[in-house]
Amino acid sequence: MNVFHSKRRLFFLLGPGTAFLLLFFLSPLAYVLVESFRADEGFITLARYQEVLVDQQFRKVFLRTLRMALIVTPLAVLLGYPSAYLMTKLPARKKSILTSLVILPLMTSPVARTYAWIVILGKYGIINETMVRLGFMQEPTRLLYTEGAIIVGLLQLFMPLMVLTLVSAMENSPEEVEEAALSLGSNRIGSFFRVVVPLSFEGLMMGVTLVFTGCFTAYVTPAILGGAKVLTLSTLMRQKALVLMNWEAATVIAVIMILTTLVLYNGVRMFRPRTLV
Amino acid sequence: MKRSKFLLFITIIMFIFLLGPFVVIIVSSFGSEAVMRFPPKGFSTQWYEKVLNIEMFRKTFWVSLKTGLLATFTALLLGVPAAYANVRWRYPGKNAMEIMFSSPAIVPGLVVGFALLRFFIYVTQVPVMVGLYLGHTAILFPYTVRVVSASLRNFDEGIEEAAVSLGSSPLHAFFAVVFPNIRSGIAAAFILAFITSFNNVPISLFLTGPGVATLPIQMLIYMEYYFDPTISALSSIIIVITVIIVQAAEKMLGISKYV
Amino acid sequence: MAFIELTNIDAGYVKGHPVLKDFHLTVEKGELVSLLGPSGCGKTTTLRTIAGFIMAEQGKVLIGGKDNTPLPPNKRNIGLVFQNYALFPHLTVFDNIAYGLRRRKADKQVIPKKVTDVLKLVSLTGYEKRLPSQLSGGQRQRVALARSIVIEPDLLLLDEPLSNLDAKLRDEMRAELSRLQHQLGITMIYVTHDQIEALSLSSRIVVMNEGNIEQTGTPEDIYERPATPFVARFVGFDNHLSGKLAELQKGKTVMDINGSRFTSTRAVSESVKSSAAGEQVDVFFRPEDVILSREKTENCLEVEIDYINYQGNTSAYALLAGDTRIRAVIPGKPMETSGSMYLVIPPEKIIVEKG
Repeated sequence: MNVFHSKRRLFFLLGPGTAFLLLFFLSPLAYVLVESFRADEGFITLARYQEVLVDQQFRKVFLRTLRMALIVTPLAVLLGYPSAYLMTKLPARKKSILTSLVILPLMTSPVARTYAWIVILGKYGIINETMVRLGFMQEPTRLLYTEGAIIVGLLQLFMPLMVLTLVSAMENSPEEVEEAALSLGSNRIGSFFRVVVPLSFEGLMMGVTLVFTGCFTAYVTPAILGGAKVLTLSTLMRQKALVLMNWEAATVIAVIMILTTLVLYNGVRMFRPRTLV
Repeated sequence: MKRSKFLLFITIIMFIFLLGPFVVIIVSSFGSEAVMRFPPKGFSTQWYEKVLNIEMFRKTFWVSLKTGLLATFTALLLGVPAAYANVRWRYPGKNAMEIMFSSPAIVPGLVVGFALLRFFIYVTQVPVMVGLYLGHTAILFPYTVRVVSASLRNFDEGIEEAAVSLGSSPLHAFFAVVFPNIRSGIAAAFILAFITSFNNVPISLFLTGPGVATLPIQMLIYMEYYFDPTISALSSIIIVITVIIVQAAEKMLGISKYV
Repeated sequence: MAFIELTNIDAGYVKGHPVLKDFHLTVEKGELVSLLGPSGCGKTTTLRTIAGFIMAEQGKVLIGGKDNTPLPPNKRNIGLVFQNYALFPHLTVFDNIAYGLRRRKADKQVIPKKVTDVLKLVSLTGYEKRLPSQLSGGQRQRVALARSIVIEPDLLLLDEPLSNLDAKLRDEMRAELSRLQHQLGITMIYVTHDQIEALSLSSRIVVMNEGNIEQTGTPEDIYERPATPFVARFVGFDNHLSGKLAELQKGKTVMDINGSRFTSTRAVSESVKSSAAGEQVDVFFRPEDVILSREKTENCLEVEIDYINYQGNTSAYALLAGDTRIRAVIPGKPMETSGSMYLVIPPEKIIVEKG
């Protein structure tokens, strides 16, 4: 037993953080959760959930949110995986420059980044202007406030998370393993799928989770690019709470968002990568 | 050869997609028209002047700055000892503790903000500003724990023990030997946490009230009413400042290894 | 009463699972005692218990007659030298060495003199202003040594201090340590898994295995007269054969191994002495102690040569006696491998243990 590892010292180190989270993070969440089941009369009720779940608008919004997350995530893999793979193969200096170019957007205000799409997709934005000028269209069409706009915005927003997660996963699998596979007779593509992919599988799953849950709960992008026309779970929740003052419904949506996130995170944790083929 | 060309092509597309919007926004902020046209017509800096003249932007900037600094500082104060215990000690229930410490980063921010609004502001009547500060501290906590843990893991425990064997108490050894060597990790945690707070929307969304809003929230409100390049100008300012901070932090602290 | 006494110690890293159980150790003033053993044998646990980092669940640690058991490491007057040097990376050599003096509230005027003196002792005069990162591995370990001896500790504990250095530096530092120990007369406990290090430095060696002491003795005792099969193997009696006891005479043990008669002239343990003829015995001998011959003589075994590694001034043979593998290291170039070969083990080189 380490002499300094007494219960008293441990209490002083962990106590403040634990107390803070219990008081100002876990209690409010528990309160909201309990409230969502509290009946006006009697003990517990599922009436609030029933009310929300049968609501046509909620169903539509839930499915739309899910659909967009399901579209953005594979797109992020498609763009992110090859880029991350290439980045890990570059010499250190080039790689660190590219890495900081990926980190930069991650550190920049999502509001500022999303606003760029208003400029690009707007009525007089670059796409409409080009299409009209080239004669493909008579007049500008509406690109903003569509699901497509939100998908593009989310993809750009979460791309860095995917790339960075993959780069750090691929870095951990040494170059020699791939070379060994090549020397043992795998061809390039064979060694890629049999060695690189399994070794970065855990990172890939992590990236997928981050992007998927990010899309599922993102607020800024759908708020700016979807507005009140194309609602997602989070913008619907805000509307219920702050515009319609329907707190019960907002609470139920909040609980659904938490549950979805937790299920996803734990689901991925159970996923273990295959060992080397 | 064919394969690496394909990779290069995808990578270039990815970077254009990632960074193109930044160029677009900066270029558009210098337009002279009051519509969001791209490419813009004419050249002016009027939107920058406008940003600086809008009082709500100035006011909310200070709210964001104060909240960010205060919340970051508190999160570090709570996070450094917690990180220390989790890196150096073995104790029963450590796994559960680690999950709890990272939970604010997993629960959607919007839900956290909403829960704080219902629990504190309506039930206990805490001022909105306090709710904002508490909410931001909670979500920054996992960042500080993670970054400080990473730099503690890189610091040989034997060095602390050497200090203790030479007569330091564990507390003195921490301040005399550990702290000076994890300073850059703590600084990195500070910058990452502050930027996270400064950019945050979901937590702040429900924790704003009359007269209290953060800068990103104020930008969203402005967008609902006006459709001119003012937000482009403000976004450009934010982008440039972020670039400077991130570059400096990368040079001095190697921040990218903590992201 | 010994200078350092560990009595009835139970200690380990997890409560209820002690690495050391009912452990005893005594060290006399001015001794250099090595704790020798493979990793996981409890030698580092012993060291950390003496230093005070591990709280013994039971037992007492006495240093200079004073009970140190309840004292935390910062209240014990013990110097520590680590495998990775553990220098303070942000402090200069001077400040590293002065650290302990300052913690002990030494007179501000004396500190520079003491630091200068100790730097001279470890031949690092002039390096005061350098940072650890500007020093070589050997220099770092000298600073670590200087830092721990400048506080004039009752006891110096060294945890594999040379294992991060390359072979040449290791030899140099070993000589340096030996010189310092004689010059200062400081009591040292030295943890190592390297038998050569332990043999060349120690006044006494404690061989440990799985939390227990296998044997305590002078380097010569350990090397020449290992008391247990574990110690025998650890100090290079790598070859092992099983046989039956045939006859026990005064100063002579005769055995039957694979149908051949073998004689050992070494002293045997009580347990062998009390054995009857026909009982199982194990014999151990070193690869370097054998002779390869083409003729059948006394104390020999017919062997086949599996393969030979040429090593310059010696050759290493992998031999097979039936199913048993035997290693032999013979001076000179490899021999012709055709025909029958006999392995001869001189009687004074065979250790006999009860099977």
